[in-house]
Amino acid sequence: MAEQLTFDMILVMIMIAVAVFLFVVEWIRVDVVAILMMVTLPLLGLVTPTQAFIGLSSNAVVSIIAVIIIGAGLDKTAVINRLTAPIVSFAGKSANRIIIFISLTVAFISSFMQNIGAAALVLPAIQRISKSLKIPIERLLMPIGFSAILGGTVTLVGSSPLILLNDLLIPFKLEPFGLFDVTPIGIALVASGIGCFILLGRFILPQGEGAGSVTESLETTAAEAPRVTGEMFELHTPETFTHYREPVTVDLLRRRYLVNVLGLTEPPDYKVLAPASAAVIRSDVDLLVYGRHSEVERLAAELELELKAEPQVFRDDVTESVSGVVEAVVAPRSPLIGKTLKQQDFSRRFGVTPLAIYRESDIYRAEIGDVLLKMGDGLVLQGPLERMQYLSEGRYLLFATPLDVERMHPEKALLAAFWLVLALTMVMGFHIQLSVSLMTGALGMIITRVLTIDEAYQSVDWRTIFLLGGLIPLGIATEKTGTAAWIAHAVLNATGVVPPIVLLTIIALLSTVFTLVISNVGATVLLVPLVVNMALAAHADPRMAALVVGLATSNSFILPTHQVNALYMGPGHYRSVDFMKAGILISIIFIVVTIGMIWLFYGVS
Amino acid sequence: MAIITISRGSFSHGAEVAERVAERLGYQCISREVLLDASERFHIPEMKLVQAIHDSPNILQRFQFGKQAYIAYIQWALAQRVRSGRAVYHGFAGHLLLPRIPHVLRVRILASMEQRVAAKMAQARISEREALAVINKDDEERRKWSKALYGVDPRDSSLYDLMIRLDRLTTNEAVELICLAASSPAFEVTEAARQRMDDLAKACEVKAWLLDQVGDIAVTCEFGNVLIYAKGGDKQAERIRKAISSPREELADLANIEIRTAGPIPDHAL
Repeated sequence: MAEQLTFDMILVMIMIAVAVFLFVVEWIRVDVVAILMMVTLPLLGLVTPTQAFIGLSSNAVVSIIAVIIIGAGLDKTAVINRLTAPIVSFAGKSANRIIIFISLTVAFISSFMQNIGAAALVLPAIQRISKSLKIPIERLLMPIGFSAILGGTVTLVGSSPLILLNDLLIPFKLEPFGLFDVTPIGIALVASGIGCFILLGRFILPQGEGAGSVTESLETTAAEAPRVTGEMFELHTPETFTHYREPVTVDLLRRRYLVNVLGLTEPPDYKVLAPASAAVIRSDVDLLVYGRHSEVERLAAELELELKAEPQVFRDDVTESVSGVVEAVVAPRSPLIGKTLKQQDFSRRFGVTPLAIYRESDIYRAEIGDVLLKMGDGLVLQGPLERMQYLSEGRYLLFATPLDVERMHPEKALLAAFWLVLALTMVMGFHIQLSVSLMTGALGMIITRVLTIDEAYQSVDWRTIFLLGGLIPLGIATEKTGTAAWIAHAVLNATGVVPPIVLLTIIALLSTVFTLVISNVGATVLLVPLVVNMALAAHADPRMAALVVGLATSNSFILPTHQVNALYMGPGHYRSVDFMKAGILISIIFIVVTIGMIWLFYGVS
Repeated sequence: MAIITISRGSFSHGAEVAERVAERLGYQCISREVLLDASERFHIPEMKLVQAIHDSPNILQRFQFGKQAYIAYIQWALAQRVRSGRAVYHGFAGHLLLPRIPHVLRVRILASMEQRVAAKMAQARISEREALAVINKDDEERRKWSKALYGVDPRDSSLYDLMIRLDRLTTNEAVELICLAASSPAFEVTEAARQRMDDLAKACEVKAWLLDQVGDIAVTCEFGNVLIYAKGGDKQAERIRKAISSPREELADLANIEIRTAGPIPDHAL
């Protein structure tokens, strides 16, 4: 029943080879390779023009667009910060514990919803954590992304191939699988995947150079911080702070310790950012300060304050997308030239706190309000980025780094959360298609002004969209021309009669290779009928053969062709080689664990 | 534990009053010691220091900083001496050398011209006319000195907390009055006052040490944070930078040190 090898099939195989080759050598970027496929395949007549671009409107791609917009909305309203806080406090600063914790969470979520959704939802949180704990994002994203894919194998509704599986068994009158029949195998897969990264992560993951971040302007801001010779610290005053003591003011701390108070709590639970100079520091309050470590330590020791290991109360206020320390230069013809900051009433007028002035090799930190400013003086400012943005629009200062300030709307947090919950309810409760549900959530956020439509467009990563959209026609061509079927037949025919366990291993390998190039749904639809017949002929359990296909079509780690991998490739600064290095190992483990668990639980020998 | 400065014209019984106040309160009485300390520390003959603090600067000296340097040395020595409080200083310009120290009681003792002339005649065995000329010249010299270096007239009553005329009050009564004033809560040594004194001492130390190497500068110190104002612009700033780049005893307890080249120099800078 095997078809003849046709010219079109050879062309398709050549195209696959070209794509894989270009992925590996990276002469052009992966998303450009995908676009190349998108254009070449219809030119060669392997797909119709409509099919060539159908990927851009596919469920997966639209879901990704929507979920990225939802993620951006959650990030802008600081919902992500609130969600990451418990993770960080639970996992501490250890990268491994964070990987385990988030991976398990993601695997759990993705066992009930499509894994791309789960992966996209946690992406902003991972970026935040990477930035705030200075763990290179390269070390976090891949393990978590792989866990999202692996989590899809935990229940029968976790991934599209498994959802389809029972339908595909109907023609053969085989007993359908229960929702949790795959759970032991899925859990073993998730555990072995995470374990592999924890044990071997340092060998198979790129280690990165520093805190990763998506927004380049913020990256530069962070890189400048060392020049400023100061950091943020949070302090707490004891209950006896004001006893037997002259009042301690914000101004006094600045003059005495050169420590700037950026935030102050007021009982019961008010927070004052950029408090006035004359503000008195009371007992049992928290202070957010900026200064050199030694000076803050001296302050804490002399005034008997508690110096916290990291900001807690002001945690949300110090995230780099809300406020930051930025260097700006006094512009030519700036109204500031020849004036002092005090004369200009600078802090009150612009709502930012000047921390230091750079003039040639000197750093001024004491009494900077009285320094006559010259053109070219560097001002180190701290404050809400929105204020900086405002300042940068005037002719006062030139900002050393372009400010790509996001306007934050923390007051819209509840709205943002509502739209997320609504979208998830639509998916899980009413089984409305993922793309439709998520786009509803995204649209809701835009209409209720959680973010503007322009911000929504800007948040979408076009690399991901085209990478996925471009590979879909390659899958279509592979199926439509019969190439996939021909390969499957050829491989299985060549296998001959082997023990069931060997047959299942070969099926797993074949499914893995197929899923790298064609969609997992396509691979499943194609392979299940084939392998069921094969198994029947070889006196093996046909249900197990089908199950192996359903599981192994999630074994897509070696190339960034899986949606989750495509999504994480850009933010993680990964190259195809990085996926191969970690992916080959994980793929082998995947097959070994799957077959091992089937052997253990279902008695296939 | 106030610090009392007693300023007076020559032959106005100031020294006598100072000694008796110190005796009454159990304070140390300081005058010439300050010059001796400065002379020893900076290897300058005492005579030059006396000239610096007594004679008004001549035309040439106005353009040099030698006199300011000597005054910085004297100020340093005075600050060291009175740092722990409980002192009566009746040497030159006490009311000007301890600026902005809250627990300094500034006293001016005045005697009538007749009393002063009589005292001078008795001391130097000269005629009344000669004595009057000497005293007038001396007063004029003090006035010019004060004007040239601090821009104030020593006769200006706003420079003092207490002015006592001895032509009708006796020295005993003057001592009483001063002791009474010194016991006022206004002259208590608070933590802030002590900090000011420490800062003054540090500023004096830095200025005295640097003057020699880099020329005329102004120095402020607040909470151990020192600002050096380079009057000579960028070149001088470079010399200062070089001087302070190596660890020195004078810089040991400073919290922070910065150099300013442009902008106004605050009035309270040394």
